[in-house]
Amino acid sequence: MFKKILIANRGEIAIRIMRACKELGIKTVAVYSDADKNSLHVQHADEAIHIGAASPKESYLNVDKLMQAAHASKADAIHPGYGFLSENASFAGTVAAAHLAFIGPSAASIRAMGDKSESKIAMKKAGVPTVPGYEGLETEADFEQAAQAIGYPILVKASAGGGGKGMRIVWEADDLPEEIESARREAVHAFGDDRLLIEKYIPNAHHIEFQVFGDQHGHLVHLFERECSVQRRHQKIIEETPSPLLTPELRAQMGAAAVKAAKAVNYYNAGTIEFIVDPDTMQYYFLEMNTRLQVEHPVTELTTGLDLVQWQIRVAAGEHFSYSQEQLSQRGHAIECRVYAEDPSNGFLPSTGKLLQYIEPKGPGIRVDSGFTAGNEVTHFYDPLLAKLIVYGENRDTAIQRMQSALKEFIVHGVTTNIDFMQTVLAHEDFANGKVTTRWVETTLESGSLLPENRQQAVGLQSLIAAALADLTIVNRKSSIENRNEPDPYSPWKQINGFRN
Amino acid sequence: MKITFDQTVIDLTPQGKSYRATIGDKTVDIEIVRAEAGKLELLIDNQRVTTYVSSDGAKRWVTINGQTVVLTKASGAKRRGSGHDHGSGLVAPMPGLVRSVNIEEGEAVMKGHTLLVLEAMKMEIRIQAPRDGLVKKLFVKQGQTVEREQVLIEIE
Repeated sequence: MFKKILIANRGEIAIRIMRACKELGIKTVAVYSDADKNSLHVQHADEAIHIGAASPKESYLNVDKLMQAAHASKADAIHPGYGFLSENASFAGTVAAAHLAFIGPSAASIRAMGDKSESKIAMKKAGVPTVPGYEGLETEADFEQAAQAIGYPILVKASAGGGGKGMRIVWEADDLPEEIESARREAVHAFGDDRLLIEKYIPNAHHIEFQVFGDQHGHLVHLFERECSVQRRHQKIIEETPSPLLTPELRAQMGAAAVKAAKAVNYYNAGTIEFIVDPDTMQYYFLEMNTRLQVEHPVTELTTGLDLVQWQIRVAAGEHFSYSQEQLSQRGHAIECRVYAEDPSNGFLPSTGKLLQYIEPKGPGIRVDSGFTAGNEVTHFYDPLLAKLIVYGENRDTAIQRMQSALKEFIVHGVTTNIDFMQTVLAHEDFANGKVTTRWVETTLESGSLLPENRQQAVGLQSLIAAALADLTIVNRKSSIENRNEPDPYSPWKQINGFRN
Repeated sequence: MKITFDQTVIDLTPQGKSYRATIGDKTVDIEIVRAEAGKLELLIDNQRVTTYVSSDGAKRWVTINGQTVVLTKASGAKRRGSGHDHGSGLVAPMPGLVRSVNIEEGEAVMKGHTLLVLEAMKMEIRIQAPRDGLVKKLFVKQGQTVEREQVLIEIE
C-alpha cells in the first residue's frame, strides 16, 4: 500500500480523498495556489505545498509544479480528483513515467475515451448504441452540411470537452456559424484543442450514467446508475440513484452495455459511462465516458455501501476488487444536491464573495462533502461548488423529504447560492413524478414556476424585522451580550425569579 | 426608530424588553428570545421564528425557514441615483476577463446582438444589447480584467 499520496486538486474533493487516505493510514500532501492559502483542503492535509498563482494554469493545471511537489514530498502516488488534470492522459503518463502511481485508469484508457470523437467511433465498433452524429469536421461548410444531414436541433461539442464547456445547442441553421465560433473559442481556452463534433440533439432526454469499477487484473463491474437530469448550463445540479425512469430490465441492459464499453478500452479504477435515454422510446445512447471519479459518486457509495475512493486507492496499489457483479446490489435511495455559489434568478451566474455565515445541516442520513467554511473567500478562479449535500433514505419519497429539510437548514450568507432554487425543484411535482429531463430547468424556468420569489410572502415581512433587529443588537452591544450570556433562555428559573429584569 | 431597507420603512419602538414594529399598515409585537452572533430567535406576534442575519456593509443577508433574502439598508444621506445607477451603461455581471469585443464606438447595434464576451470561471458570458441603439462609449478592450458592476459599454 502507498505511504503518502499527493492530491492534485482543491476544495471538497481534495478533502474527500484525504479522508479516505487517513482511514487507510496513508499520509496526505495538499497542493495550493495563492488563492487557496487559507482554504480548508490545505488544513486537512499532513503537508501542504504551494504551487503557484491563483490562475489554474499556474497551479492546479501546472504539471511541472505538481511533479516537483510530488518529488519534494516523497509521495508515492497522485490522486487527481475530478476536473483539472484528472482526465489528462499526458499527465497520467508523466506520473507513471516518474514511477509514481496515478490513482485512476491507464493513460491509454484516458486517451481512448477522452476524445469524444475517437470514443464514439470505438463505441460504435464495440456495439454500444451512440447518438447519430458526425466527427472530424473542419470547415464551416462541413458543419453546415452535417447539421443539415442530421436535422436540427443539433448539439455542438468539444472533442476534448467535458463539464458543459465548449458545448452549444443549435436550433436553426442561421445560428450555426456564431455558435461554432464560440464553442471553438471556449474549447481552445478550456482544453487547448479546438476540434468539435456535432450530433443530433435529443431535447427531452434523461441523463443516466453508470458507475463502473475495475481492478488491474481484468475484473470489472458496474455499480448501477445515477440519474442526473436536473441540469443547468449542461451541468448537473441534482443527482440520485436509483433512477425513477429505469425498469430492472433496462437497468440490467444498460449496465451490461456500460461494462462492455469500459472493457473495450481495457478500463480499470473508477469510471462512468454516461447515457442519454429518450423517455418516449426508452432507447439509450452512449454519450461519453468520464475516466475519473465523479462529483456525484457519493450517491453510489450510500446505496451500494462501498467507499469508492478507498477502493480507487486500493486497486491503484494493485489489490483485487473483491465483489462480483452478483454480489452487488442497490439499497434504499440517495440524492445529491450541489450547492453552488450562483444566482438562479440571474442566469445561474457565479457569485463571489466572502462567506459571512456557513452552517451545514446535520442529522441521520445526511452527508455533506464540503470545501468551505465561514470566513472563506469564494473567488472567480475556480468552480463555484461550495458543497455537496447528500441524503440517504429507505425509499425515494423519504429521501426527497429528508433533502428538503436538510436544504432548509443549510445557511450560506455572503454569496448567492442555489439552495432556495433546489428546494423549489425538489418540491415540484415533475421532480416527484420522475419526469425531469435535461432541458427541464430551462423550460420550467421560462414558464416562471421555478423562481423562489413565487413562494410564500410572509418571509418578506419577517426578514425585514430580523434585519432591523439585528442592526439594533449590533449597535446596542450591551443587549446582545446580555442575551448571549443566558445559557438557557427557557429555564423555568427565569420566569420565577424575574431574572431578565 | 426608523430603518429603511429597499424602499420599505420599518419603525421599531422598544416596549420594555420587547419591540413593536410597524411596516406600512401592519403592526406586530416582537420579543427577542435569544440572540447570538448571526442568529436571532424571535417571537413575532407570539410565533417562534428562527432567523439568521449577516451584515456586509449596507447589505443584510437574512435566512428564515430555508429562504434567504438580501436586503439593502438605505443610509441617512441619499446615495441613490449615483452608485448603482448605470443609466444606459452595460455592466459586468461578475469579475472576469474581456475575451472579445465585437463592436466599435458609434456602431449601430440591434437588440440581442452580442457586443462583447466576458470570460469568468472558464465560462463565456455574452454581453448582449438590451435594445436597438448606438454604441456611445466603449470602456474596455480585449484582454482587460474587469470587476463586478464595472461599466463596459454605454448605449444610446
